[in-house]
Amino acid sequence: MPDFAPSVSRLIDELKRLPGIGQKTAQRLAFYLLRVDREQALALSDAIRDAKDKIRHCSVCNNLTDADPCLFCTNSTRNRSMICVVEEATNIQAVEKTRQFNGLYHVLGGSLSPLQGIGPDKLNIKNLIERLKGGTVEEIIVATSPTAEGEATAVYLSKLIKPLGVRVSRIAMGIPVGSDLEYADEVTMLKAMEGRRDL
Amino acid sequence: MPVHESEAIILQSYALGEGDRLVSFLSRTMGRMRGVAAGARKPKSRFGSTLERLSHVRIWYFERETRELVRINQCEMIESFLSAFSDYASSIALALFSEITGAVLPEKEASDANFRLLLLATQTVKRTGKCELPLAYFALWTVKLGGWLPSLDRCGQCGQALAANDPACFSPSAAALACGKCRRPGMRLVSPPALSLARKMVAERLDRLQDGVAADAAGARAAREVTEMMLDIIEHQIDRKLVSRELLESPA
Repeated sequence: MPDFAPSVSRLIDELKRLPGIGQKTAQRLAFYLLRVDREQALALSDAIRDAKDKIRHCSVCNNLTDADPCLFCTNSTRNRSMICVVEEATNIQAVEKTRQFNGLYHVLGGSLSPLQGIGPDKLNIKNLIERLKGGTVEEIIVATSPTAEGEATAVYLSKLIKPLGVRVSRIAMGIPVGSDLEYADEVTMLKAMEGRRDL
Repeated sequence: MPVHESEAIILQSYALGEGDRLVSFLSRTMGRMRGVAAGARKPKSRFGSTLERLSHVRIWYFERETRELVRINQCEMIESFLSAFSDYASSIALALFSEITGAVLPEKEASDANFRLLLLATQTVKRTGKCELPLAYFALWTVKLGGWLPSLDRCGQCGQALAANDPACFSPSAAALACGKCRRPGMRLVSPPALSLARKMVAERLDRLQDGVAADAAGARAAREVTEMMLDIIEHQIDRKLVSRELLESPA
């Protein structure tokens, strides 16, 4: 005898496909959705359908957007001489939170990861090079993650872009604000020392 | 729940949940293991860069008999290889090191020889900035330690010694090299320089080998040929394609 009615099992199976959701959590979410008002449960499915129908990739920067080109690419007040290159569209929000960067963005769609079979041809590198051909871009800020994959991607991009006469910089790596030097490992400390600046 | 301490090499790590990491590591004393490092993706994580791929670390973890995954408590860096990932070709070779080690070694079976091999090959890539010879050496010794290396001196069919200047024939499904006379359909040729390099690799340490092998295009070609042959054997044994190998063969 099955544990749940077929429609409940299907709901649990679908929820289990989401990242970080296991069997127990999927069951908990499924029973929560069954318990709440019909309108509230359907609002979730409507929101998913709406987002899937309307959201696409910006043809210029590959950001997720409901208008193509996206708001960053069409905003005339933004500095067009600087492009910040990030791995995923979600990384843009982290940079925007600083309110210090007023340039444009370019989303690579991941980082070089041989273990996942992701090489340069699977990233949005070609259209980044195309954007640089106009001559208005003076600097590329590579804001990939400070991991082995992010570092390999940053160096690969710099080798590709520098010959085009565009300045390539990398976001600083090192000690997080509010942490204690005592607990920093040697690689983090080394990166912090390498990236030191004049006061 | 006692805490275990071990020297280890990080093979791979995956994002898990909100800020955790699922880490696969090769412990020197306990073999290949998997564990969860809670909060490792957060900026102020105490793990810092220690869980980056191929980091040589000292690791502390808790193990419960009923749980498949251990809980990683602390990690201290012995040697980092993050700088070696800056070169694209080297990063592919290093990815192959971790993928092959993860694929050929069973969980929780200590193999000091495989541990030393992985460490030596990774250190050589970092020190020299070149990856052809270390990759060939790593692949050949992985095959040898797995017990899959065919005789490099004699034909597996007729038993005749393989001549120094004649190419040998090879196919991953055949467990032996063959001479020209015993060649069967589907076998490919292994050039005399590649065969000679493979024999040297069996007899010499990697650091000594580097001085003896020509660092020119011919030496690199022979190393690539050995790598191809050994990766074919590994893929045949694990019964699947190596994901990183595809990038090794495609131009950057």
